[in-house]
Amino acid sequence: MSKNLSELSGRKGLDKNLFEELGRVAAATGTPSLEDLDKIRDEFLMGKSNVYGSVSFYDFLRPENQGKKVYVCNGSACRTAGTQEALTAKLRKHFSTQEIGEMCCLGRCHENSAFHTMGHNYSGRDADNLDTILEKKGTTAEKYQVGNTGTPVLTAPYGPVDTYYSVFREALKKDPLQLLAELKDSGLRGRGGAGFPMAFKLESCRNASDPLKFIVCNADEGDPGAYSDRYIMEERPHALLMGMLLAGYITGARYGVVYIRGEYPESVETINAAIEALQALKLLGENIDGSGFSFDFKVIKAQGAYICGEETALLSSIEGQRPEVRVRPPYPTQQGLFNKPTVVNNVETLANLPYILQYGGNAYAAIGTARSTGTKLISLDGHFNKPGIYEADMGTPLRKVIDDCGGGFRVPVKAMHIGGPLGGLVPVSCIDQLTIDFDSFAREGFLLGHASVVCIPEEYPLIDYLEHLFRFTAHESCGKCFPCRIGSTRGYEMIEKARNSDYKLDRTLLNDLLETLESGSLCALGGGLPLPVKNALKYFEAELNPYFSKP
Amino acid sequence: MGKTAYINDKLYSLQEGETILNFVRRHYGKDFVPTLCDAPNLDPYGACRVCSVDVALVKDGPAKAQASCHTPVMPGSYIYTDSERIQRLRRNIVELVLTDHPLDCLTCEVNNNCELQTVAARVGIRDVRYPAGKNHLHYEKDKSHPYMTSDFSKCINCARCVRACDEVQGELVLSMAGRGFDSHIIKSFNNTFFESDCVSCGACAQACPTSAISDVFESKSVVADKKVRTICTYCGVGCNLEVAVVNGKVKSIQAPYDAEVNQGHTCLKGRFAFSFYNHPDRLRTPQIRRNGKLEPATWDEAYDYIAGRLSDIKARFGPDAIAGISSARCTNEENYLMQKFIRAVIGTNNIDACARVCHSPTALGMQRAFGTGAATNSIVDLKYTDCIMVIGANPTDAHPVTGAKLKQFAMKGKPTIVIDPRRTELARYATHHLQLRPGTNVAMMNMLLYYIITEGLEAKEFIEQRTEGYESFKEQILKLKMEELERITGVDRHLARAAAIDYAKAPNAMSFHGLGVTEHSQGSYTVMLISDLAMITGNIGRRGVGVNPLRGQNNVQGAADMGCQPHQGAGYLNSYDPEINRMYEEFYKVKIPMGKGLKIPEMYDASIEGKLKAMWLMGEDLVQTDPNTNLVVKAMQSLDLLVVQEIFHTETCNYAHVVLPASSFLEKDGTFTNGERRIQKVQAVVEPLEGTKPDGQIMADIMNRMGYPQGDYRADTLLQEISGIVPFFAGVSWENLGDNGKQWPVLADGSDTEILHTESFKRGKGLFHYFDWKETEEIVKNGREYPYIITTNRELEHYNAGTMTRRTGNVKILTEDVLMIHPADAEKHFIEEGDMVCVESPRGKVDIKARITDEVKPGVLSTTFHFPEVLLNIITSSERDSEAMCPEYKVVAVNIRKSKGKYKVKA
Repeated sequence: MSKNLSELSGRKGLDKNLFEELGRVAAATGTPSLEDLDKIRDEFLMGKSNVYGSVSFYDFLRPENQGKKVYVCNGSACRTAGTQEALTAKLRKHFSTQEIGEMCCLGRCHENSAFHTMGHNYSGRDADNLDTILEKKGTTAEKYQVGNTGTPVLTAPYGPVDTYYSVFREALKKDPLQLLAELKDSGLRGRGGAGFPMAFKLESCRNASDPLKFIVCNADEGDPGAYSDRYIMEERPHALLMGMLLAGYITGARYGVVYIRGEYPESVETINAAIEALQALKLLGENIDGSGFSFDFKVIKAQGAYICGEETALLSSIEGQRPEVRVRPPYPTQQGLFNKPTVVNNVETLANLPYILQYGGNAYAAIGTARSTGTKLISLDGHFNKPGIYEADMGTPLRKVIDDCGGGFRVPVKAMHIGGPLGGLVPVSCIDQLTIDFDSFAREGFLLGHASVVCIPEEYPLIDYLEHLFRFTAHESCGKCFPCRIGSTRGYEMIEKARNSDYKLDRTLLNDLLETLESGSLCALGGGLPLPVKNALKYFEAELNPYFSKP
Repeated sequence: MGKTAYINDKLYSLQEGETILNFVRRHYGKDFVPTLCDAPNLDPYGACRVCSVDVALVKDGPAKAQASCHTPVMPGSYIYTDSERIQRLRRNIVELVLTDHPLDCLTCEVNNNCELQTVAARVGIRDVRYPAGKNHLHYEKDKSHPYMTSDFSKCINCARCVRACDEVQGELVLSMAGRGFDSHIIKSFNNTFFESDCVSCGACAQACPTSAISDVFESKSVVADKKVRTICTYCGVGCNLEVAVVNGKVKSIQAPYDAEVNQGHTCLKGRFAFSFYNHPDRLRTPQIRRNGKLEPATWDEAYDYIAGRLSDIKARFGPDAIAGISSARCTNEENYLMQKFIRAVIGTNNIDACARVCHSPTALGMQRAFGTGAATNSIVDLKYTDCIMVIGANPTDAHPVTGAKLKQFAMKGKPTIVIDPRRTELARYATHHLQLRPGTNVAMMNMLLYYIITEGLEAKEFIEQRTEGYESFKEQILKLKMEELERITGVDRHLARAAAIDYAKAPNAMSFHGLGVTEHSQGSYTVMLISDLAMITGNIGRRGVGVNPLRGQNNVQGAADMGCQPHQGAGYLNSYDPEINRMYEEFYKVKIPMGKGLKIPEMYDASIEGKLKAMWLMGEDLVQTDPNTNLVVKAMQSLDLLVVQEIFHTETCNYAHVVLPASSFLEKDGTFTNGERRIQKVQAVVEPLEGTKPDGQIMADIMNRMGYPQGDYRADTLLQEISGIVPFFAGVSWENLGDNGKQWPVLADGSDTEILHTESFKRGKGLFHYFDWKETEEIVKNGREYPYIITTNRELEHYNAGTMTRRTGNVKILTEDVLMIHPADAEKHFIEEGDMVCVESPRGKVDIKARITDEVKPGVLSTTFHFPEVLLNIITSSERDSEAMCPEYKVVAVNIRKSKGKYKVKA
């Protein structure tokens, strides 16, 4: 991260955004020409290397992306479902091999066979309908369950938009500090994975002296298996937008940026439409409702890089810098977007704010457990009988979610990967020890994370899954810190070799590598990978033993 | 004891907010914790993780590994720097690094000076256990550039180079590309060094912990018999250099990190452009002109010849028929001797130096306003200022290290005002660029002053307590019509107003100026108006403020300090004052003249008129660098005796009767005084090239030869002598200058001065001056017939006449002078990129290759005079500053046409 580049990018404000410009000039062929890059870097007063370096980072901007017409999902759920080979065979009838690329998780984990073409996502049986789709006559037939067990905070319908925003209009009449106090009372913790108390962030940003501040929504739901943020953006967009408005009012921020992953084109459309609706209601712009509070939104569509879900990488991405993880301090609330105080929160976290400010912090805190208040959305993949998005009070037994919500497993399952690729690998034998909350998972040596559930069927070899995890990390590593940059690739190479040849894994070496990644990495990507690997080694020792050299 | 924390169970005091690494280093030294991506002049980056330490909240409690470079110390915490776990972590990380690094240490250029090698040895790697996998070992070496090299098979992705290019130089040439394991360094659009936008500052090479980026001189190799610290001979920044010597020859140069001036940074001139020093063209023997030809002679012959001729001229025409021009490229001690020779031995005040043609208006203007003609503040003040105003200076080219600091300031979006006819590099990043017509500085300053007054932004208290002359000054300013000044300057008055407000409202504002201020007919006036700006806003006498001239040459400050001007002797004491004259006579122990001496332009006139018979030039190429070449040549030809001390044969040598081969800065001791009044030690790196002598020794020799007992040229004894006569050198001695020198005034106790005028001005109260703008005679007389204005500038790669830089690899980077011309003007004259353009002024004409650019406005042209092929000064005029006689290089009336002549070759 470069302070100079942050500053130079920030000079243009959000109207002309460097990252968007790079995407704009890449649109025609899949990657920008050097001539276009030169014009852009001149306008932004940057070096050629800066824009070239940024472009080369993203799956959908780099030169290798040129000419790609369809992208096959290679996320964990589609992989364990085993649907993608058949899908690719179908696509080959319409596309050449060079025209077929990959995307990592389109959030269609509930019905798999997911692919992306012409700016839209498809899944399930859509591939059987390719002719119509390619003629732009058909849309996706996607369908998933939405339900809840407990209090419907996020899944409850919010009725007419204008009426819904009375929460915000009322809030504007109150002192932001009063709202902040409610938020503190609610005990709301970030839903992106780290579980950081949200009120702290807002308070820290509020206390920063800079007149220009930002609220950034991390809608880069990159964890394969998770699609609950997508659900909110597409089905409850105003809960998110109002959450951002409220966070803006509390901190004194002027702009809200929604950074949505490129793999979710439909989310971009619904959020944009929702912002237009807000404009029509005059809930945006200068001096909203005569309150003196001004706020505007900017939607940024990402370009394919898992690491952008890490908050500091995300900020660099918006700035058009290479999205490499930054050191902390400074924290984003001190020096975030364009070096200005910034709150970065996940979609689900922000979407909780309207409820908290409508019913009060204490009402919210009454839901869930003492240390994990409120509810949590859970994404269930296609291995369940009733895959979909379910809302559960924090503290709900995992068994209840699996059986009551998901209707149990569709096929025999040996483990569930919960909380994304960096979450724990939960063997079915541990299900009854877990409840849906941060502490229970941590105590048992797992991670609630974003609460996505990807099942590993009985017959799916765990060594394949471990190889997938290492390859995923190696592919998505930003390349900044040494342990993750080199370690994820070396780990992948070792496991690939053990899987495909008579090479045997050296247990000490693998343990050293896992320890190095875990305690040495700069962020949760390298740092988190060892958790599911260690779970696998612990709970599936017998299955994995043949791949190790004898002690 | 304040806040504390434990290091390996011992309690230590803590500085507010410091990182663990800093904390441990303060108590255990800089190598106690191994690091790879950390560098002394870069922000914490947190990539290598080798600096990790264990941190526990209670003694022997559960510890967490934390990267010490960017983690602040938590008060009361327990830091364990070498726990078994940490040792293992470091070893395992370095093992990973070695899976993608060639193990060819013995043949590597940085063998024994490689940070990776040191860290690997330290953590105890004995084995690389991973099976062979992906790597970058196939990357090939980039040898495209005259100086910079890269071999990315050796790269460990620490990004120190990328960060140096960004955080130090601000050039943004380097970046990472790709991601994950495929991340790799690129230059510009993945070009070679030569094709890239690299400015060859070498910061990346110095930052690189391995040999992934280096230079052709292998400056990081341990092959050196010794390393000598000295001061760069190019610009007035005064970078400290560390010169490696092998077998009595200069091998390479690096910049010391502990240098207060340049903190490990320098530019391609300082770092790489040293090979002139033993170039075959170096003069190696004295020459005497016989039968119209310069012929080799012995030193004795030359001295005898000179002494004889000078004595003869002195006897027949009197001492005032002789003049000397000293050199801002030479040491203080040499300049001191030169003026002493002219005054004490010859007996005339006909002594001047090249400051005349650059910053004489600064010295004069600031002396009138404040009482001292030197920078009021220090460059370090950039850290404390809130606003900078850069007037008539292009520091990223001409003062690269200070320029880089100014650019860093501007890049951060802090209020930056650039006043320049060209859109300079700094102007691109500035908040306000006031792109005025050349020659309208006075009008521009008056606009700023007007708006500060009308906006009510004067520092009333400061004005009242510390200045005089304000009321009448204000009255004059308020009479001005902004519409008229807007028309004169070509600068929108709203823009001027906005800039004035930014400057005045900043809690602390600094101004910097260069030759774009001084080399004008109203140069001294502009300097005084810049001083007015500082005084009216109270920006004088504390950190982060002041008037800061960017001195052109390495020792232009020193040449003036030493008395190389007719009206002031050593220490700026008035040489026409009888009291002072008596003091000088006592000190020099001979009769010292009181008569008015000639300034350089007057010397030319006197020579042509036949009054001046002999001139002695110390390292000064008047023919190429002084304006109106034809006049200068005529003056040289009119002399009976022209003695030139030089390191190379210059254009001026063509007219010399005696040429004396001098030693370069690498071959002598002495001191240079940089633009912030910092006296620094120049130390001989190598022996004088055979046949040459230091300029100071030549002066001492001739003084003795002409009967004045002067000891040999030695820095220590001469500094002692100087400290006896120059008041602000009172506490200076060779021994106490140390590594980073001292900023004058240096009191007798050795304490020095970073900021001038803190309590009161040198002259008591600061004096406001008002001046009307007046069109230069050059335009009044010639503007109708010659409607274009050409203004002269400098390029990064070359230094002034290029005498030195043209004899280095720099010439491969920038090969010629070019004419900047606006696209509209080019179109009007059917000129295409690379066409030769005939530029004609009333004095003559030259052909220059066109570079079409909108960096200049229509009607304005700009070029350099680095190459003798063009001899641009054929067209420059003899107009000069009304007060200080500094030539007006910056406004020349010309006409242009596509050349029909012999140069009609396309680029």
